[in-house]
Amino acid sequence: MSKQNMSETNNSTAVLSDIAFIEASNEVSPLLKNFCQTKKQALTSWPIPTRKTESWKYSAKHLKLANNYSALPETTSSYQAAYELDCYTLQISNNRIIFNESTIQGLSIKRFSELNEAEAVRVREGVIAESKDFQFADLNAAQLIDGIYIQVDDKAQIDKPVKVIFEHIGQGMSFPRVFVYVGKNASFELIEELNISSDEDGDAFINSVCDITVADNARLRYLRMNLDRLAIDKGACKHIGATGIKMLRNARFESYCMALGSDLARHDLHVKMLEQGAECDLNGVCVTRDQQHFDNHTCIEHVAPHCTSNETYRCIADHQSSIVFNGRIHIHPDAQKSLGSMSNKNLLLSSKAEINSKPELEIYADDVKCAHGTTMGQLDETEMYYLKTRGVSSEQAKLMLTLGFVLEVVRATPIESIAEFWEQQLTDILSFQES
Amino acid sequence: MLSIQNLQASVDDKQILKGLNLEVKAGEVHAIMGPNGSGKSTLSQVLAGNSAYEVTGGDVAFEGKDLLDMSTEDRAREGVFLAFQYPVEIPGVSNLQFMKTAMNNIRRYRGEEEMNAATFMKLAKEKIQQVNLSPAFLKRGVNEGFSGGEKKRNEIMQMLMLEPKLAILDETDSGLDIDALKVVAEGVNALRSPERAVIMVTHYQRLLDYIVPDYVHVLAGGKIIKSGGKELALELEEKGYGWLGIDEEANA
Repeated sequence: MSKQNMSETNNSTAVLSDIAFIEASNEVSPLLKNFCQTKKQALTSWPIPTRKTESWKYSAKHLKLANNYSALPETTSSYQAAYELDCYTLQISNNRIIFNESTIQGLSIKRFSELNEAEAVRVREGVIAESKDFQFADLNAAQLIDGIYIQVDDKAQIDKPVKVIFEHIGQGMSFPRVFVYVGKNASFELIEELNISSDEDGDAFINSVCDITVADNARLRYLRMNLDRLAIDKGACKHIGATGIKMLRNARFESYCMALGSDLARHDLHVKMLEQGAECDLNGVCVTRDQQHFDNHTCIEHVAPHCTSNETYRCIADHQSSIVFNGRIHIHPDAQKSLGSMSNKNLLLSSKAEINSKPELEIYADDVKCAHGTTMGQLDETEMYYLKTRGVSSEQAKLMLTLGFVLEVVRATPIESIAEFWEQQLTDILSFQES
Repeated sequence: MLSIQNLQASVDDKQILKGLNLEVKAGEVHAIMGPNGSGKSTLSQVLAGNSAYEVTGGDVAFEGKDLLDMSTEDRAREGVFLAFQYPVEIPGVSNLQFMKTAMNNIRRYRGEEEMNAATFMKLAKEKIQQVNLSPAFLKRGVNEGFSGGEKKRNEIMQMLMLEPKLAILDETDSGLDIDALKVVAEGVNALRSPERAVIMVTHYQRLLDYIVPDYVHVLAGGKIIKSGGKELALELEEKGYGWLGIDEEANA
């Protein structure tokens, strides 16, 4: 069915293909052309989410998509690292790939346009790429010009983390995409940093996808953060991103997602443990204020037996901001001896702030251990009182307790300079010097 | 130093203190004893400034200033310290960070300079060892996962750090084994001086073997009904509260 017909038959429902965006150009790898076309076709039947769309129930009202996203201007990167870190850097800046590194021992880094058939298959079969659940990831694929493919050689221990920066300058939509393959017995640290700069309020919209495969016995640490000054100062931008992880036998995956709100920010993190002995550990901290909104959707699939998952997310919402935590654990029928645990603790700092937490456990095997816990609260009066009886001021007591609530998770971040940086950021953001 | 006159206080609209009078001078140690439900903890909490307790009448002067008019934190800064019966656990905030913030708040209030990090560390290590806890406890979350005895010793450590003028110990002896009790007593005795005063609230006479009070008061039905020297505690221990015509069951 052509796009024209869809629009006519579905007069009342707007679909994603109604948004005017940049067409996939001819530059994209011929091996991915069909993939992109299929995804583009899929857009014609993707309704633009409304509050009736279950997975967008609390976020749809913040989405406010423009009808038309113009091409992003070609500009030079203005990226400056906010923290000191000895790492390799790759960048997708306004949809343009910038390689800052020549060769890195143990890594091969390519553009999607340079992929061979086997590599292209991996990209097409990524968790997010294959899924039919992520409408915005489909929008990303439909627009795809190029992406970065990173492969870690078998047994390689990469000496420094690789930081991939998704930079967005000005008004419009950007759609960076990365694929990472961590070879057998390899060990790798990947940082994904989103960075929007725009002079005006309005539609700076970054729509990213990161698909990852962690092969047998390999280990990946993944840090994801949105760090733009806009999110920190004004929240005047949109971030939608999806991360998919395929885990093979005895693979290990750790994630640390540090999130600040924006106009609209959403992260979908989907882990599939496909073979025995895989183990994942998902950590998240989310802090919003003013009118910001952040939506965390996580899903852990225990497909094979004897896999372990742990998840810890802490959220703080202040002022009129809002946060969603939707954490799903799906244990497939064959996944006996699965161990799953999920903890989500939330703190509301104002009577107008809102946090919606929804643990979803779907268990189809009978010999599993799966636990979840959610708490929702305000600052504890007894704790406040205890601190004050030692001479600590109200403001400082509030700050200490609020920070303490998230720092437990922040301090677990394996890269020290990033943990310190976030501790400082969050201290600045949460300091209660209110006017 | 502390002058309490006709103090009345209630919690959840239930009157607990019904006209309590007490004078504490610098250098003195007072023990307040009484059966359960007599108002001992209420008195401690009211003095420390717990907003869950409502003062309905009376006056409390601390070094001539109106204590009831001060915020909780200002009372601490003026030199009032309460060792809690049930110390609060605060995960995510380290003991060290807590004490540093507290100490610097107090010093700023008094117009003193903040303590530098090295001096502070040295002091903290010294005080935590003084209460027989390993320095590792400084890095742990405040009281997080501490045993009952460790929590009480941590309270005494805080007291030694902050060097209050008036220390109020609310049933600090309850739930302690004899070794921990000695550690607590040594901590309190180390702080005794002509400029400081201590109020010990306790149910049992046991603690008073180690911290010898100058005065003992019996609190019942929200009032002090009898005062005396340290021998009063021994008499109470021997004869029980019933000796003073207190029906312990009815009070509880």
